[in-house]
Amino acid sequence: MSSDLVRPWLATAARLLLGGVLVVAGALKLPDPAEAVRAVRAYRLLPEAVVGPVAFGLPVLEILVGLALLVGVFVRTAAVAAAVLMVVFLAGVSSAWARGLQIDCGCFGGGGEVAAGQTAYPWEVVRDTALLLVALALARWPHSRLALSNRLEPVHG
Amino acid sequence: MADPNKNPARGAGKKAAARERIAAKRAAEAAARAAEQRRRRTVLGGAVAAAVVVIAVVVAIVVQTSRTSTDADAARPDGTSAGGNGYTFTVGQADAPVTVDLYEDFQCPNCKDFEDAAGSTLEQLAEAGTVQIVYHGMAFLDSSQNDDYSTRALNAAAVVASSAGSDAYETFHDLLYANQPDERTGSGLTDDQLVAYAEQAGATGEDVAADIRDLVYGEWVKGAEDQASKDGVTGTPTVLVDGTKLTDLSAAGLTAAVQAASS
Repeated sequence: MSSDLVRPWLATAARLLLGGVLVVAGALKLPDPAEAVRAVRAYRLLPEAVVGPVAFGLPVLEILVGLALLVGVFVRTAAVAAAVLMVVFLAGVSSAWARGLQIDCGCFGGGGEVAAGQTAYPWEVVRDTALLLVALALARWPHSRLALSNRLEPVHG
Repeated sequence: MADPNKNPARGAGKKAAARERIAAKRAAEAAARAAEQRRRRTVLGGAVAAAVVVIAVVVAIVVQTSRTSTDADAARPDGTSAGGNGYTFTVGQADAPVTVDLYEDFQCPNCKDFEDAAGSTLEQLAEAGTVQIVYHGMAFLDSSQNDDYSTRALNAAAVVASSAGSDAYETFHDLLYANQPDERTGSGLTDDQLVAYAEQAGATGEDVAADIRDLVYGEWVKGAEDQASKDGVTGTPTVLVDGTKLTDLSAAGLTAAVQAASS
């Protein structure tokens, strides 16, 4: 009963949190494309030809997925996309950690070089895991309050 | 009482039931149509959204690629060493048995720590003919507070090497670490200070001051930063002794690694 009232609001909170983080993270990667390239290259996972497109395309994906979540359209699809992004980020950070690379994840711009001992892998993994769980929960229960799609397509019952 | 089946009222009830069935059927059809319409709208909306995503990503890749392409006509310093794609300066004898690659940013405090601890040891090893030092400049600690000091310092170092050679680069490099401004609270050395240290290092050409102030190798600095990234260097200082990363950045650690590499 009360969970029927609370759940859509929780979904709204999840949308705003996840969407906000994604939009900010994506936007911070746009002003300095050279830095974005170095951040992606620093993971040493991708061939040089792919580094640029990933460094330039990924922030746009983050922003669009984030915007969809913030305004509340295609919420389930966007939540699934956000979960996929988080899995990709987790895989990248974990592999960098496992290989002993000394890099900043570049999650919010920056990235690439850090001075020895300035890595923050545990925190990055915890944060991305938490966001992944939020994204999965939202994909399971996407119906939320204050969503644009509610106005376009009233959901009854 | 008459047979209920022959009851005219009952017949009317039948008709009503039939009408209800028809109405229900129509309602179901209308609902199905509406559902179909909704489905079409969702598919259409999804297709439009997917197209928007693809177009935005492609536009971003094109725009950002053009923003990062460096000017091929940009000035490059003279006196760079072979093997570094034009981004390295080498000191020491060419037949030295060990090569030490140094990746440093002039604003990086850990680089200063390394220079303070092991810099003179390294230069003695070079003078003794044991090592060749390959300087790879990096510039990633620019900020508005330090007025892009990393870039200005590396540009100045390239001006010094270009006008007075690699040994002058080394002297200038040592002067900048000895006088490194604080990374957090400092505002970088001024261009005037850089010009004065350049002069002290032996770069006295008439264009030196102007080249330092005008960031004449600004594009080259960006290229140097990219080259370090392509070399797989992600932290400074990175010290490679014959290609192997040095983990003990003390004078003793450096000496031991050089001895191991030369024996």
